[in-house]
Amino acid sequence: MSMEDYDFLFKIVLIGNAGVGKTCLVRRFTQGLFPPGQGATIGVDFMIKTVEINGEKVKLQIWDTAGQERFRSITQSYYRSANALILTYDITCEESFRCLPEWLREIEQYASNKVITVLVGNKIDLADKREVSQQRAAEFSEAQDMYYLETSAKESDNVEKLFLDLACRLISEARQNTLVNNVSSPLPGEGKSISYLTCCNFN
Amino acid sequence: MAAATAPGPKAPPGESGGPAASALSMERIQSLTDLADLEAAYSRLCEEEKVVQEELDALLEQQSTIENKMVALHRMGPSLQLIEGDAQQLAGMVTFTCNLAENVSSKVRQLDLAKNRLYQAIQRADDILDLKFCMDGVQTALRNEDYEQAAAHIHRYLSLDKSVIELSRQGKEGGIIDANLKLLQEAEQRLKTIVTEKFDTAMKQGDLPQVERFFKIFPLLGLHEEGLSKFSEYLCKQVANKAEENLQLVMGTDMSDRRAAVIFADTLTLLFEGIARIVETHQPIVETYYGPGRLYTLIKHLQVECDRQVEKVVDKFIKERDYHRQFQQVQNSMMRSSSAEKIEPRELDPILTEVTLMNARSELYLRFIKRRIIADFEVGDAMASEEVKQEHQKYLDKLLNNCLLSCTMQELIGYYITMEEYFMRETVNKAVAMDSYEKGQLTSSMVDDVFYIVKKCIGRALSSSSIDCLCAMINHSTTELESDFREVLYNKLKQGFPATTFQDFQRGVTSAVNIMHSSLQQGKFDTKGIESTDEAKQSFLVTLNNVEVCSENIMTLKKTLESDCSKLLSQGFGGEQAQAKIESCLSDMAAVSNKFRDLLQEGLNELNSTAIKPQVKPWINLFLSVSHNIEEEEFSDYEANDPWVQQFIVNLEQQMTEFKAGLSPVIYDTLTGLMTSLIAIELEKVLLKSTFSRLGGLQFDKELRSLIAYLTTVTTWTIRDKFARLSQMATILNLERVTEILDYWGPNSGPLTWRLTPAEVRQVLALRIDFRSEDIKRLRL
Repeated sequence: MSMEDYDFLFKIVLIGNAGVGKTCLVRRFTQGLFPPGQGATIGVDFMIKTVEINGEKVKLQIWDTAGQERFRSITQSYYRSANALILTYDITCEESFRCLPEWLREIEQYASNKVITVLVGNKIDLADKREVSQQRAAEFSEAQDMYYLETSAKESDNVEKLFLDLACRLISEARQNTLVNNVSSPLPGEGKSISYLTCCNFN
Repeated sequence: MAAATAPGPKAPPGESGGPAASALSMERIQSLTDLADLEAAYSRLCEEEKVVQEELDALLEQQSTIENKMVALHRMGPSLQLIEGDAQQLAGMVTFTCNLAENVSSKVRQLDLAKNRLYQAIQRADDILDLKFCMDGVQTALRNEDYEQAAAHIHRYLSLDKSVIELSRQGKEGGIIDANLKLLQEAEQRLKTIVTEKFDTAMKQGDLPQVERFFKIFPLLGLHEEGLSKFSEYLCKQVANKAEENLQLVMGTDMSDRRAAVIFADTLTLLFEGIARIVETHQPIVETYYGPGRLYTLIKHLQVECDRQVEKVVDKFIKERDYHRQFQQVQNSMMRSSSAEKIEPRELDPILTEVTLMNARSELYLRFIKRRIIADFEVGDAMASEEVKQEHQKYLDKLLNNCLLSCTMQELIGYYITMEEYFMRETVNKAVAMDSYEKGQLTSSMVDDVFYIVKKCIGRALSSSSIDCLCAMINHSTTELESDFREVLYNKLKQGFPATTFQDFQRGVTSAVNIMHSSLQQGKFDTKGIESTDEAKQSFLVTLNNVEVCSENIMTLKKTLESDCSKLLSQGFGGEQAQAKIESCLSDMAAVSNKFRDLLQEGLNELNSTAIKPQVKPWINLFLSVSHNIEEEEFSDYEANDPWVQQFIVNLEQQMTEFKAGLSPVIYDTLTGLMTSLIAIELEKVLLKSTFSRLGGLQFDKELRSLIAYLTTVTTWTIRDKFARLSQMATILNLERVTEILDYWGPNSGPLTWRLTPAEVRQVLALRIDFRSEDIKRLRL
């Protein structure tokens, strides 16, 4: 692992209804682009971006999934190995917000119980078309114990913050895990984040 | 200043001035009063005078040369005037020539202009003639039903410069031209109607030569889109007819037919092959008569029909194979764990294979049309701007991604993945439930079975040619192996290696004869207990082997998949990210191999602490009951009847035989490694509790050597290192005198690296009853 030029590797999977802007969020963060007229994602897309946080290189493996129903069985297979899930909805689309409980059920069913879930309301540049108030989303995320953020992939609002904050939380989570696991021997079926860590960081 | 300080006569003249002016000023000479000074000044002035005289002479000598030069210059005067005149004349000539040249070139320009206008005039005259010729030609051709000729005339007319025609109409003969034009336009309309009608008739009659004949005429009339769309209509009808026929055949297929299980995949294949053949056959005509970049339009039309036919076939497939109901059942079975209405995974096998085959055919077909369209666009876009190229790429992506074929297949594959996952999980569960172990085998049946199943499922997903489908199944396999199957093995190991029974404990104490005796007795009284204990032991060992093989198999599976995938990718399947996606999913799978390794290590530690340690420890403790504080007589007695080590070795051997037979060589090796470490530690403990005479030390040395010699034969590890401390202790116990230690210590240690601290050396020395503690204390270590 010392050959690889990063200190941490995390898998982040974006999920949510079709057309809420998952691909645009990923493109904005990884390439700094906002491609207008983005077609629907087919299956899953895969991007990598390495960021530096407090002098440590963090490699983020970002899986951008298709929101359409027919790809559900493909996207579900990625939940389990994810360190974090970004659950996205469109603030101008009530329907995408109303589907959130269904998405949470999927997470419950397929993801590891250690996964960090972030709720993201995208498209705040279209403020005049807003259908989901910030307060409603905040209350919902609080009830579900999720971190919550509103973004605009188009205006690049909060996009960087979303991914960097997430990376920070993943790092501290990973640190805690190794501390715990150094004391007691690992149990079977543990989350796999530990295996991603280079031990040299903590010894 | 210089003169004031050093006014001596030896000062060279001119040192403080140029040769022309004297170094001594008048005032200074007048102020001189001393005779010696005066003399000095005089002699200096004299010398200066001499120098000046010489210079004057030299200048005078040059006078004649200068005069000669002056004469020569005077002589050149008249010639210069001549040259000036010539130069002025030349300048005049140049100016004249220049004007002349400019005049000429402006005339040439005028000529050029005139020539161009002439050409234009000729062109226009030609065009007007052409127009008339076309008009006449069209009429004749139409009369003769020579539509190609008529179309060629119209094409000629259409390619004429419209502004020229407009200009011509304004001319004197405007009336005639107007009439001609009108006739031509009428002819054009007539021809269009005729061609369309004739094409439709030919199409209805299925007259391919006539269809192709009129198809070629459309572009001449500027009707590219109409031509392509009409021709496509004709081709689509052919596709539809053929597809209808094929579907009828499917319905009549006997279930015993060899291809019955994949009949829908075969039907799709026929459909795709038919369309591909049409594209192959008609691409040259389209290219020749419609130009490059038009194939996209043709295929776009064909794809609509293709989608329509695919929908029919897939609908039939779903209905005939009960695809949706099967999926529903699978989903229900996954939700509820009740086994009552669980669908039998084996029943899914054929349908899963057929779906992957259907998708593979679709991918192959889509790749074919993608390549054709790209190649056709490339020819047309060679000179095009980047935007046009991107635009075309967008058209293509849209066609490929949004066609019903793609969506339908994605839907089918979506269901497939869920069903394949179910198939895998249920079959693995079955393999676990039916796990059996044959004597003489290291592993039990489930390991081979489970990996056969996983390989089969991933292999089937791979055969669909869909990268996302493959990755999803790799992910599901990783989950299955990591959580479910590993859990099974973990639970087996958790039951532990049966704790040593009292009889087993005794077995260690008593001699070999007693072992046979007691086991005979046990056989009589408690066969069942022994058998179940033995079974539990064997189960534990087999599980250890299973875990190891799993870890290996995962790595093998990963390697196999890597090479399979690179084959698929090299054929051009999958997008730009395909490689990275597969690599990521496979590396997750490889990580599971390490988890199995960790489990193996845990199991071995368990075995070492529950099975080996409780046995070995009492055997080693027996050492304490053998006195090493001995004299000559006992020493030779020990020689004849070994008091401890031989029995210890026999016991060890007996114990390890069981493991050697039951464990894979690699695991056995690791286990013996753990055991030797254990022996070294335990033996050191008892050693430090004993006392030794000189001969007792020798006895221990002999014992230790025998033990090391034995252990060396059973392990492939180098065990000397593990016994280094004990060997050094034996050396100390064998010393003649306390001070002899200094021959081996510190600077005298030579190649020997001491593993004992000075305190430990003293502690061991103190075990010798014949060594005085004062001597030991006095040692400087």
